[in-house]
Amino acid sequence: MSDAASQIAVPVPPKELERAPLVLNNRSFGWISDRVSAITEGKAPKWWWAAFIPSFTLLGVLGAMLFYQATTGVGVWGNHHPTMWGWDIINFVWWIGIGHAGTLISAILFLLRQRWRTGVNRAAEAMTIFAVMCAGIYPGMHVGRVWFDWWLFPIPTYQGLWPQFRSPLMWDVFAVSTYFTVSVLFWYVGLIPDLATLRDRAKSKIRQFLYGLGALGWTGSNRHWSNYEKAYLILAGVSTPLVLSVHSIVSLDFAVSQLPGWHTTIFPPYFVAGAVFSGFGMVLTLLIPLRSMCKLEDIITMRHVDVMCKVTLATGSIVGYAYAMEFFIAWYSGSAVERFAFINRAMGPYWWGYWIMVTCNVVVPQLFWFPKIRRSLLVVFVLSILVNVGMWFERFVIVVISLHREFLPSNWDYFKPTWVDIMTYLGTFGLFFTCFLLFMRFLPMIAVSEVKGVTAQADPHHPAAKGNGGGH
Amino acid sequence: MSQPDDFSNDDPTQARPLDLSKWRNLPGKLMLVGALVTVGGAIFSWRHDAMVSFGFFWLVAFMFFLSIGLGALFLVIIHHLFDAGWSVPMRRLNEHIATLLFPWLAILFIPVLVLAPKLYQWMQMTTAHTPDHALTAKAPLFTFTGFYVVAIACFGAWWMLSNRLRYWSLRQDETGAAQCTHKMRFYSYIGIWLFALTLTFGAIMWMKALQHQWFSTMYGVQYFAGSVWLTLITVYVITMLLDRQRVLSDVLHEHQYYFLGSLFFAFTVFYAYVSFSQYFIIWNANMPEETFWFVVREKGTWFLASLIIIFGHFFLPFLGLLRIDVKSNFRIMSFFCAWAWLMHFNDMCFNILPVRFPNGFPLHWLWLPLGIMALMGGFLADRFLKKFASAAPFPIKDPRLIEAMGLYHPVPTQISGGELDQTDTMHGSPVRPKGGH
Amino acid sequence: MPEIPKTFGLLAEFDNTADVLHAAENVRDAGFRKWDVYMPFPIHGMDKAMGLKNSKVGWFGFLGGVTGYTTGMLMIWWMNAIDYPVLIGGKPMFSPHGAFPPSYELTILFTAFGAIGGMLFLNRLPRLHHPLLKHKRFALATHDKFFIVIETADPKYSEAETRKLLAAAGSQRIEMVEE
Repeated sequence: MSDAASQIAVPVPPKELERAPLVLNNRSFGWISDRVSAITEGKAPKWWWAAFIPSFTLLGVLGAMLFYQATTGVGVWGNHHPTMWGWDIINFVWWIGIGHAGTLISAILFLLRQRWRTGVNRAAEAMTIFAVMCAGIYPGMHVGRVWFDWWLFPIPTYQGLWPQFRSPLMWDVFAVSTYFTVSVLFWYVGLIPDLATLRDRAKSKIRQFLYGLGALGWTGSNRHWSNYEKAYLILAGVSTPLVLSVHSIVSLDFAVSQLPGWHTTIFPPYFVAGAVFSGFGMVLTLLIPLRSMCKLEDIITMRHVDVMCKVTLATGSIVGYAYAMEFFIAWYSGSAVERFAFINRAMGPYWWGYWIMVTCNVVVPQLFWFPKIRRSLLVVFVLSILVNVGMWFERFVIVVISLHREFLPSNWDYFKPTWVDIMTYLGTFGLFFTCFLLFMRFLPMIAVSEVKGVTAQADPHHPAAKGNGGGH
Repeated sequence: MSQPDDFSNDDPTQARPLDLSKWRNLPGKLMLVGALVTVGGAIFSWRHDAMVSFGFFWLVAFMFFLSIGLGALFLVIIHHLFDAGWSVPMRRLNEHIATLLFPWLAILFIPVLVLAPKLYQWMQMTTAHTPDHALTAKAPLFTFTGFYVVAIACFGAWWMLSNRLRYWSLRQDETGAAQCTHKMRFYSYIGIWLFALTLTFGAIMWMKALQHQWFSTMYGVQYFAGSVWLTLITVYVITMLLDRQRVLSDVLHEHQYYFLGSLFFAFTVFYAYVSFSQYFIIWNANMPEETFWFVVREKGTWFLASLIIIFGHFFLPFLGLLRIDVKSNFRIMSFFCAWAWLMHFNDMCFNILPVRFPNGFPLHWLWLPLGIMALMGGFLADRFLKKFASAAPFPIKDPRLIEAMGLYHPVPTQISGGELDQTDTMHGSPVRPKGGH
Repeated sequence: MPEIPKTFGLLAEFDNTADVLHAAENVRDAGFRKWDVYMPFPIHGMDKAMGLKNSKVGWFGFLGGVTGYTTGMLMIWWMNAIDYPVLIGGKPMFSPHGAFPPSYELTILFTAFGAIGGMLFLNRLPRLHHPLLKHKRFALATHDKFFIVIETADPKYSEAETRKLLAAAGSQRIEMVEE
């Protein structure tokens, strides 16, 4: 067909519609490994310590809070009748939602052959893992007696009892633990070739040994790559339905009940869209400062930021559609309690929560329609934070507003968090950022081998291939 | 193409150009036979049950073809929103299919409009002044005025979008200006919102409202998923036929087939996902005001129809399309196209007919919906072919055409995910290496 | 017994993807069996250039998935309907609906195990020692160079001939690798 193609006039794209390359300035393969590996080599920069010390302190706060809760009981939270789910569930859903962008980037965009993913996937996958860790803390604590957490798993006990698989909370256990395991495996498989790169350039024996251990003896053999690529493809293939199922199952925790505001059929896809939305918010929040701190502007380019803004816009709009549908169907159903639940959201005592949610999740992302906004890093950074503020309030709306006024008015009450709720939440940021900072300091935060593969000179048929790709 | 062996034997470029001249009169014949059956059915139904059955069957066929029109509109919109390159060659035929929405599908909607008081229980309640609570609650929407306003708004939006998108696309054929691309993008920006709202309202007012007591937030999404699913495989087969006739061969690359096939696969899963979620949530909560919709559909042969949805709509295409190479195998994909038409027809029947035929699928009536399908299908195919002949077969000056042809790789692929992803040797390609030393 | 250092094979270095791809085609056409191409990232068309068949990892993943789904369904059925049935919410003791989400997750989990296990098994990894990893220059295989290695164990191997072949394929730098 390429012969035939030369017969017809092929339009060359006008300048304004040309695509930007994925790796700027025609960087060579060597430059990519050098630049990314350099972050893990040498002394830690001052800004790293400046970020690490407060994060680590917050991690300590988390430890203290968890110890206090475990020894005192979860009565120290603000949860009380009728709001029996409070900040614990809000934060669980919030954190696990954030994780979804990592899997979306690593798996779904891989299947869709969106090559820009290579610049950001490693960091996003790491973010996924740490976010799921933060999320996992909450249900673990929520059960009350932490030392019986293992009852959640189908392990034989002296009582002869088994977990009760008709409960969505059990589905959650399987969904979240599978999600965590597969995310870690996927991340690790992606890391193997890059760990080999770090091993081969290691100056000290200890680095050589440790990275060598992680690299599993990887040589870069094509016979290995062939199997590796297939395994990677399968992992991407299963991670895609996995990531969809995880937040769907989280949504079922709510939706299979009969509570107005929780029981609605659109919940699964709506939760997934919201999760991806918040996750991309977090990826932008993390990567915009990091790309300049680590001088990765040629790998995480403005095109990457632009595309991620568009994903945020798309998912934010889907979330907007779901809000509209929920409201519309509550009216359409004619059910008095359904209608009340939604009017109470918008005009009840927590009206501010609802409107923060709508503003941050539906209105704010619409700004990303404008190329000017997408090109201003500062604005994108601020908006990306607002996205996660909005998504936190979404879960607040769903959990607290639906519960605090349910069927019986004599049952109504106003929910307030306690200082323990707040400090625990802040503490999870400590865990998240400590892990993330350690990750970026000791592991390649860019998928080196994958980025090399998307440069022009990596394609043996490309004219650029002949020269081993450009200068430094 | 560099690797013909990547394909099964029926690679279009290897086979002789396809001669479809003996099929030229097919739409006309379909229309003729369909019209005869339809008229016969209308008379029979008129004497039998005052056109009620006829109305239901007409609605089935209408919603079926509306799916394809809306699906094509969606594919055009999403092409612009994603700034996609690979789907340029199919965009023109999608644009043509989308413009069928107005006036042709709007004309086909007229019988629904006329027969609506017989189809929708709520309209009878309104006329008889015996509204139930579910109806009074929906007051301004579920009135005759509301019904007409929604219909006008839907077709108006579809007319505006499909017409404008095609207009600027044809303009670009002449000028090749970037401005046309920007215009099309602009209509896609507002289009995606209008599309989401109108499709949802169409699905609610024309299908869900058959049982107006029932409510589900997922319903619009479900109709959307089924529609795009059907459209993707239909577009796949049309593309394949045009390829074999050497109409699109110059601008196609293997990846179009692979991507269309993969998207079809993705929507197979997506449809199953939303349908299962809807069913599962209602099953679990077990509230009578919701479950009755499914209870009706578990009676008689409708239960069988639901099993067909599970195994035919989902499992067969899912398992059949798991392998990468299948997505480029034209025989298998043609089979799946026919299959998808059957499945979507079953899906529409399952959604619409149990209201009229609660005991099971009215097999003795089967000839009538098939006749109406033939009439509409022949008519729309005829319109489509006329439109297609009136313009260039693909957007000849689209700036992304070069990517679709596989001549210009902004960047080569990283991990192939299969044998189909290998880049071509780029002789004869106008590519300039970017940058340099 | 002191061992005489044996030769593992001949190592040819290439600077860019186009050269190594063509060289691989030549080696394949010459009929070698025990040889490999080493590179910092997978190059497109290399499987074809080497004459490799489609990887078998898919089967491991598939078997894993089937195992996972069956395990999930059987486990839930046995635990909740046979071993210790408890009536909850009027729902059936076992229904494929309720058991679906956990079984689905196990399908995915076991597919992932199968795929990764299969990949490691087929690649004979992890492996702590490899003759090539001792070679100084070979460290660049994970950086920016491409290597073709033809092992001495290959029946077609003959030092002079093979060296000539690799040089003709465009390699500027050909070295022996010791076992």
